[in-house]
Amino acid sequence: MPSRISPWVAAALLPICAAAAPPAPPAPEAQRTLSNAAERVYDLAKPRILQIRTLLQAAGRQSTLGSGFLVSADGLAITNYHVVSQYALDPKTYRLEYLAPDGAKGTLQLLAFDVAHDLAVVKIEHTGLPFFEFDPRAIDNRLPKGERIYAMGNPLDLGFTIVEGTYNGLVDKSYDERIHFSGAINPGMSGGPVAGNDGRIVGVNVAKRLDGEQVGFLVPARFAATLIERARKGPPLVLDKAREEVGRQLDGWQSAFYDALKGEGFRTAPFGPYRGLESAAPWMTCWATTNADLLPKPRTAVNTTRCTSATGIFVSDRILTGRVDLSYSYYKAIDLNAFQFATELSSHPWTFDSRGGKRLTEQECRDDFVAAGPGAGPPLRATWCMRAYREFEGLYNVTLLALTQDHDREALLAQLNMQGVSYANAVTFGRRFLEAIQWAR
Amino acid sequence: MGAVMWIEVLSRHGEVAARERIEAPEARVGRAFDNDVVIDDVHVAPHHLRIYRGEDGELVAEDLGTLNGLFPEHGAKPVPRLSLAREPGIRIGRTTLRVHDSAHPVAAEKLLTPPRAHARWAAGLGVSLLLVLLLLQWLSLTAEASANVVLLPLLGYGTALVLWTSLWAMLSRIFFGQARFSLQLRIAITTFIALVVWGQLAGTLAFSFAWRDLAEYAGLGAWAVLAAACYAHLHAIGPRHMRAAMGLVIALVGTGAAVQYLGASETRKLLGQRATLGELRPPEFRLVPLASADAFFKKAEGARLSVDRARVKEPATGGLLSDLDNAE
Repeated sequence: MPSRISPWVAAALLPICAAAAPPAPPAPEAQRTLSNAAERVYDLAKPRILQIRTLLQAAGRQSTLGSGFLVSADGLAITNYHVVSQYALDPKTYRLEYLAPDGAKGTLQLLAFDVAHDLAVVKIEHTGLPFFEFDPRAIDNRLPKGERIYAMGNPLDLGFTIVEGTYNGLVDKSYDERIHFSGAINPGMSGGPVAGNDGRIVGVNVAKRLDGEQVGFLVPARFAATLIERARKGPPLVLDKAREEVGRQLDGWQSAFYDALKGEGFRTAPFGPYRGLESAAPWMTCWATTNADLLPKPRTAVNTTRCTSATGIFVSDRILTGRVDLSYSYYKAIDLNAFQFATELSSHPWTFDSRGGKRLTEQECRDDFVAAGPGAGPPLRATWCMRAYREFEGLYNVTLLALTQDHDREALLAQLNMQGVSYANAVTFGRRFLEAIQWAR
Repeated sequence: MGAVMWIEVLSRHGEVAARERIEAPEARVGRAFDNDVVIDDVHVAPHHLRIYRGEDGELVAEDLGTLNGLFPEHGAKPVPRLSLAREPGIRIGRTTLRVHDSAHPVAAEKLLTPPRAHARWAAGLGVSLLLVLLLLQWLSLTAEASANVVLLPLLGYGTALVLWTSLWAMLSRIFFGQARFSLQLRIAITTFIALVVWGQLAGTLAFSFAWRDLAEYAGLGAWAVLAAACYAHLHAIGPRHMRAAMGLVIALVGTGAAVQYLGASETRKLLGQRATLGELRPPEFRLVPLASADAFFKKAEGARLSVDRARVKEPATGGLLSDLDNAE
């Protein structure tokens, strides 16, 4: 099974939430002595790191915990967007507070955020405190693989911690630029700093893989540096309009993403006697499955290829968006007649939720028989389904299904899912997807 | 005047309890024994009615000045005199009478149903139903066949049919005196066949014309089939009170259809439309020309307008509402 675990379900963000599971008993750890370097880095970092708490206004109790760090003398600090998302989306219900290692407490002001890179800039009232500097080698991506780096934060609310780990470059096959950190980062460390030997910032703790050991992810320092610049120079964030700002950033993200998808180019791949669209982007990863080894022996052979962008943007604990999946299942009847085969196709799994809710509208679908290609491609039975994001105008989740209709005992079932996409991009990509379904010849 | 009149005294259930042939030009009706027709009803006067022929020969009933008076059969107001040419029924006290002239037209002879005809029909239809069900099961069989898969549903259908038929036969026994089980069974099986045919037809048309709505609201058609079935069952019980029975059937079926419609539209509002291709048929069943990609995306635009409208409305409330919007 491990190869079937797809990366997007396995990456977990790292705030501690009220709803999180109770802490597991700590694993007995081999006696390990921290290097002198770690002691030095922590000494340096101690007055510069913060715990960032989102409190429920009415109860005055914590709802989410994360970490952060000071980056300027005037009290600007960096954390993750997902640490402060509740406050950003609902400033009337929540408030932000920080706790320093020396026990100092205070309220925080939210100045800016970058949803796509999962970063936020907050400000404490004090000025003149020591602060971190960014490592210029990290900004230019010049850090050598294998360099010792140190992740800091307050894991599981157990106290401020420093974790020694290894810089392993940027994650391969990923649309989002993320640093691969080999070290244990845990819930509560989200937004905490990761520094090199000299105590300069390399990245920001953001997520870890649940299906691996000590596989952590950092946001590269340069995005944090850019966001600080924006917070300083750009128009100040109006809290009441934070939702609109999130919507604008999501729209900007999807626009850049679909441009990149187009820029990487497309090719077609064979699926039985048919061909379908495939992205040439290295970050679209594909997995294949077959039912050939099932018992009792299936009466229809089904071979499926599923490609995913594995992108995921955390907007709130209820909205994770920004993924594209493309899947093709080639069905061939072994000993079924045309009606039985049609029944088999009718029972294909339907993956996405269609319910209306607080964040998304209920789903609407349209069906037709389509001749999509300019040439003589196979006729298709197609279904277009979409849901709109209630809070973000012009963004949709779209599912497009197409089934070839040229044979009654074999067919290609193609499915395209796009989350958080603009209508124009959905139609452009959807059309391309339909037109690419052709005979292999 | 050699004309003869017949006076019928009806029972509480509307059957003829006594029928008197009157050859005299006038007849008297009442509780006293000197009447031509004697009625045992304490609300009838000893001398209650006189029935005679009017000037143009039509029969007329006349109240002889009684306490409770004379009513048309379905009337609510007493009348002193009543012409019986059109409506032969009258009510005195708690008794209903019908007076017929010998020239009163009667319905033509009804063809005798041969013995066990209904039973034979029911058997024939039952075999056809069984064959249709087996055929449908075979056509939708995608795994290895097993007795469980094939026989259990058939057993369920059979039990439902017998229960449904027994219910009607019991009603028939109560109101008509005869169970007429085989006739009711014949109607029930015909209904079942009609329901199966409708289900297949709706599914096929939904595919052939790419009409998702037809698949979503096909249940309404089933209610119409059910209405026709109830009518036929009631008719078999007896043609009397058909109007009241029809009212009841229409009310029942109308309520059922309305509830089903509300349920379907509520479901659609709460659950949205599922991203599936629906119930599929072999490609040869397509009955509409292929749309161009342009036409298809024009349809998609309709979905966009629809969700954009829903976006600014309050989300529908209900227990099925999604809490996690991206739960997968």
